[in-house]
Amino acid sequence: MTSFIPKINRFTLAFGVAMALCAATSAKADDAEYGVLMKTLANPFWGAMSQGVESGAKGAGVKIFEQAAESDQAAEPQLNLCNTMLERKPAAMITAAINSTNLLPCLKVAQEAGVKIVDLDNNLDQAVLDKEGIKVTFHIGSDNNAAGAQGAEYLVSKLGKDAKGPVLVIEGLSGNITGEKRAKGFADKLKELAPGLEIVASLPGDWDRGKAASIATDTLTAHPDLVAIFCANDCMALGAVESVYAAGKGPQVTIIGVDGNSDAVKSIKEGRLNASVAQLPYLVGKQAVENVKKALAGEKVEDSIAVPTLVLTKEVIDAGKEPMLEYVK
Amino acid sequence: MASETAQPGFWSRVQRASVERLHIRLESLLVLVALSAVMAVLSPYFLSLSNFLNILLATSTIGVLAIAATFVIGSGGLDLSLGSVMGLSGVAGAFVAVNLGWWSPLAVLACILAGGIAGYINGQLVTRAFVPAFIVTLGMLGLARGLALVISQGRAIYGLPPEIVYIGQGRPFGVPMPVILLVLTAIVAHCLLAYTRFGRHTLALGDSEGAARAAGIRVEHHRRIIYTLSGALAGLAGLLFTARVNAGDPTAGINYELTAITAAIIGGTNLFGGRASILGTMIGALIMGVLQNGLTLLAVQSYYQQMAIGAVLILAVFIDQYQVRKESRV
Repeated sequence: MTSFIPKINRFTLAFGVAMALCAATSAKADDAEYGVLMKTLANPFWGAMSQGVESGAKGAGVKIFEQAAESDQAAEPQLNLCNTMLERKPAAMITAAINSTNLLPCLKVAQEAGVKIVDLDNNLDQAVLDKEGIKVTFHIGSDNNAAGAQGAEYLVSKLGKDAKGPVLVIEGLSGNITGEKRAKGFADKLKELAPGLEIVASLPGDWDRGKAASIATDTLTAHPDLVAIFCANDCMALGAVESVYAAGKGPQVTIIGVDGNSDAVKSIKEGRLNASVAQLPYLVGKQAVENVKKALAGEKVEDSIAVPTLVLTKEVIDAGKEPMLEYVK
Repeated sequence: MASETAQPGFWSRVQRASVERLHIRLESLLVLVALSAVMAVLSPYFLSLSNFLNILLATSTIGVLAIAATFVIGSGGLDLSLGSVMGLSGVAGAFVAVNLGWWSPLAVLACILAGGIAGYINGQLVTRAFVPAFIVTLGMLGLARGLALVISQGRAIYGLPPEIVYIGQGRPFGVPMPVILLVLTAIVAHCLLAYTRFGRHTLALGDSEGAARAAGIRVEHHRRIIYTLSGALAGLAGLLFTARVNAGDPTAGINYELTAITAAIIGGTNLFGGRASILGTMIGALIMGVLQNGLTLLAVQSYYQQMAIGAVLILAVFIDQYQVRKESRV
């Protein structure tokens, strides 16, 4: 018990030094700051988006303050982050919500405080927003429906419109609108272009490589004549690639992912993954910041900004002529 | 040197009073205050009522789970299924309210009941089947998560009725509902553990099961009650989570059990039982909450935040052991 006094003193000393150091470097409030809340940074896609945001901020001369949840399933921690970020009184919140409802309480508070809200990467559902009375300044992201459709177009161009055979679709995280739109865009377009290609299963892979791999393995067992797999993101497509090659069916099955992340590009170059509908997250992040600046200056900004997507195949990458390739990171 | 002989007396008196009356250790409270002071100096946004409520709100779900962990660990047990049972309970509540369309209070009851049943099964298996608590609750971790995915068919259940959402998002008198529920739960749990026979028996059990049995405590019966209580509290946490994010999410609460145990340990609970306090656990949970909140305000990436919490855990137990060894040497 007698040891308590010297310990307190040492503690007080260390604490005092820390306070003095901190006071010297203490940050000042800045009213032009934009809060940026990502899903996670443990995925190259969000890394590229983050680079785009930073470059956009540098170009536009605005300050940003960026945070991300520890994983893209951490719905409640992301809500906590969002609430905390509002304490810094940002001029705008650019958010990529983990699902269509988890950030709503925070966004409501933001709206009451007059903070402009941006739906980064189209994760919010307009119908839900209307019901909650939340008005976002704009949605920005790739047109996920169109990205799915582009995947179907590529598949049909490769196999021909009279092709027949079973097709597997691996969706994203259950209830996530991005994954749903991609899967639906693909399914609708495929039905229209090549009715002979039948989707035998459409299952949620939770954006997860391992889960997608086991879904692919199981489906190959049930349908050994599988001709194609469409995955709602590249992570899952890469998992499916492993399963397909492990089953020795590499040449038979066409595998398509969405995102165009660096791992996928590598796999396409190696001739394993057939195609990825590349989103241009760098461009999405950059344009998000630029458009927020416009909106804050009182200029008119579209409600929904669609950033184009690009089908990456070995041919496209090797030719290197596509001007948008610059934005594939 | 007169002052040096007088002061330790004063400090040890304060220390002893805080330990005996409020059942908390002064060190953890000091760390919490110091940490808050550092954050307040570092960030101009830290010190405000709304941010204070933010910290409490962010701590609410974990706080309720940490209370459950404190009871179980204090009695010499372990509950690794807390996070999964929480996920299961939230899904059960959402299923009752949305898919079955039943009256909202029944959905609330479903959450607590689902958690309580899972906890009761844990208790039965630990006391009657003689399977170690670590194994039983590890098994329940998988069982409950799987069942949550089965009930929800792997998809989050959206569209909860407004009464349920109010539990997570309402703010009577400006105070968020989850915070009110956490504070009420903590007060009741604190009194239960610190001032009642039930609480004394719980800690006696954690101290030495043999001695507790010799003293006439119905050991197995008591353990079953504690596991059931732990499950029911996880059910309450599941209700809070579901109401906060307005979705019965089958992936809710992954790894939350570890965070809850961390809060209890930082707050001074002995991992092997015999010593525990709910107020201490709340301080432990708040230390983590303040750390996370402050680092977020300072724009420190979340990965570093996880490292910081890991470091605080080890440091807290180190200080604790250091203190205990010093006392035993004297």
